[in-house]
Amino acid sequence: MISKKVLLVGNFGVGKTSLIRRFVHNEFSEDYISTIGVRVSTKVIQTNKESLKLLIWDVAGTNGDQTVPKAYFLGASAAMFVFDLSREETYINIVKQIDMVKELSGLKNIVVIGNKRDLMTADKLHILLEKVDVTIDFITSAKENENVEDAFKLLGQQSLK
Amino acid sequence: MLPAKIQDRFIQITVDFSGTITGIDAGFFVTDKFKIGDSVYKTCPFLESTLDSLPLEEWFKMDAMFLNSKDRDYSVDVELFRDEDFVSVLIINRTNVYEYVRELNQNRNEISIVKHQIDRQNKELAILRRAAEKATEEKSRFLAMMSHEIRNPLNAILGYANIIANDSSCPSTLGYVKSLLMAGNNLKVIVNDILDISRIEAGKLELVLEPTSIKETVEICVRDFELLYKESKVLLVSTISDEIPAIVMADAVRLTQILSNLLNNAFKFTKRGSISLKVRVISTSKETSRIEFDLTDTGRGMSQDQVGKIFNEYEQIELSDNRIHGGAGLGLTIVKRLVESMNGQTTVKSEIDVGTTFTIQIPFKNIAEGQKSEVNSQQLEIKKQDLNGAEILYADDDELNHVIVAHILSKEGANTTLVNDGLEALSALQNKTFDIILLDIHMPNKSGTELIKERHLFTQLNATTPIIALTANTNTEDIKKYINLGFLEVVSKPYTPEELIHVVYEYFKK
Repeated sequence: MISKKVLLVGNFGVGKTSLIRRFVHNEFSEDYISTIGVRVSTKVIQTNKESLKLLIWDVAGTNGDQTVPKAYFLGASAAMFVFDLSREETYINIVKQIDMVKELSGLKNIVVIGNKRDLMTADKLHILLEKVDVTIDFITSAKENENVEDAFKLLGQQSLK
Repeated sequence: MLPAKIQDRFIQITVDFSGTITGIDAGFFVTDKFKIGDSVYKTCPFLESTLDSLPLEEWFKMDAMFLNSKDRDYSVDVELFRDEDFVSVLIINRTNVYEYVRELNQNRNEISIVKHQIDRQNKELAILRRAAEKATEEKSRFLAMMSHEIRNPLNAILGYANIIANDSSCPSTLGYVKSLLMAGNNLKVIVNDILDISRIEAGKLELVLEPTSIKETVEICVRDFELLYKESKVLLVSTISDEIPAIVMADAVRLTQILSNLLNNAFKFTKRGSISLKVRVISTSKETSRIEFDLTDTGRGMSQDQVGKIFNEYEQIELSDNRIHGGAGLGLTIVKRLVESMNGQTTVKSEIDVGTTFTIQIPFKNIAEGQKSEVNSQQLEIKKQDLNGAEILYADDDELNHVIVAHILSKEGANTTLVNDGLEALSALQNKTFDIILLDIHMPNKSGTELIKERHLFTQLNATTPIIALTANTNTEDIKKYINLGFLEVVSKPYTPEELIHVVYEYFKK
């Protein structure tokens, strides 16, 4: 079975850990517990051809101009940038942040996820989508288990490219 | 040999590129998790997919990695060294340090999230505040405009009605004029009510506290209502306690407004029986006298639900009340707000088909004996009005107002020069000395405010002549603006002949 290292990065409090918990354990908690460093979770998914073991690196959230340590990206096959749809400061510099992730990881493509759909009205979401200058791959809700599976499936597919 | 305390904090192992542990080299940290032949990925999943990519023969550090253990989680710093055939893995337990970091981080992040929420709420509040301020400004502008537009014709209606009342001896004409005056005054009350409530809401209502006789104020008010409703089947009874201080500090105009609004309300809804006003002192101290005004009627009464709503703005108990009884539904709201502004309280008890009792308690400041004489002397001065021979210039573009002012002043013996705008007024001021200048504000060619700014052009003839504004702009800001520009007094339209004469006389005698 192939193993692929994938990383979730983004500002603190955007729900990276919640997405992983939902995907790996199908659990969700409203409590916010800050992640320090890296916690690795694993889950086997089925791609078109075979089983794929995802080594999912839950990287501590960044704040402002902080960057993820380059060492964490060593051997990474794909990365997911997560932002909080309800907090503008988590996507206001999204282009710059994604470029930085690409530079540190050497990856050409980054999966972009807007999380916490459950906190947004349709109108607010519509306005936000016009403001964000990158293509968002999935709008997710870890709480409502919306598009979480699909987001990780895309991440898995990216890791095989 | 390292001390055991240090050896417990790290472990150094050797693994091959498939992740199989090939040697335990040093240290005792979680040794039970690392057995030769086991896969290191089980305990250190972060090494999977990492080992292959390590740079050759150089130390590679990864900080703050979670180490999986059944018993507890550890946070460790990891140092890796890749050789041709193996990888050396040094794992240092930093759980305690990272726990502090985690707590600090958690606090920082929570503060940041709360700050963001507060920022967002502040932004929302700012938007709401701007909208509310804009709405208030619009409302104030609308009210000021409406007030101006209503007051001007109302001034003419009341002014001409007064002229006819003075000049006519025909009983039927006098009767019609009386009705005209009553209707005009009612309209004036409504306009004033709307403006008052607007001022109160904007916190712009200022009480004018003067030595006042409560007894006299109540008696005048009751007398006015007795005259107004002398054809009514309802009996108005007033009882004023002898214990009420002769003079207290009060805003007589606003107190009259409170009593008038309550009496007006009582007469509106009482078809038979009586309306009783009792005034008594309920407590006294050296500084204040708390006086209670108790107004009971035998009218249609209200349900508890209705009682709960009567102080709301524009509230009429029945849909037809506005059409039948008139008014804007602001009278009781104003009563409550005015009483509150006097630090008093308003209560109401009511029963359907039995009647209603409004009780008002207001603490009035007592005054020293010396001050009491000021009331009497002021009243005497007002009676001595005499404008004989006074030269008065009046500028207004409304000819109806010309006739009214000229009529009022000529009856007092004054000579009035009438001009149509500020430009004509300037010309007159440069050619003749006047005792008083009366200026409308809104005039074509040159407004009253533009004219007063050109006072230096009046020449010596009128360099110090008092200038009084006669205007329908009556809000506090306007009045302050006019006073700052140099107007000595602002007479608000519609004014009574007595009000105008009094102000003109005040400055003429100086």
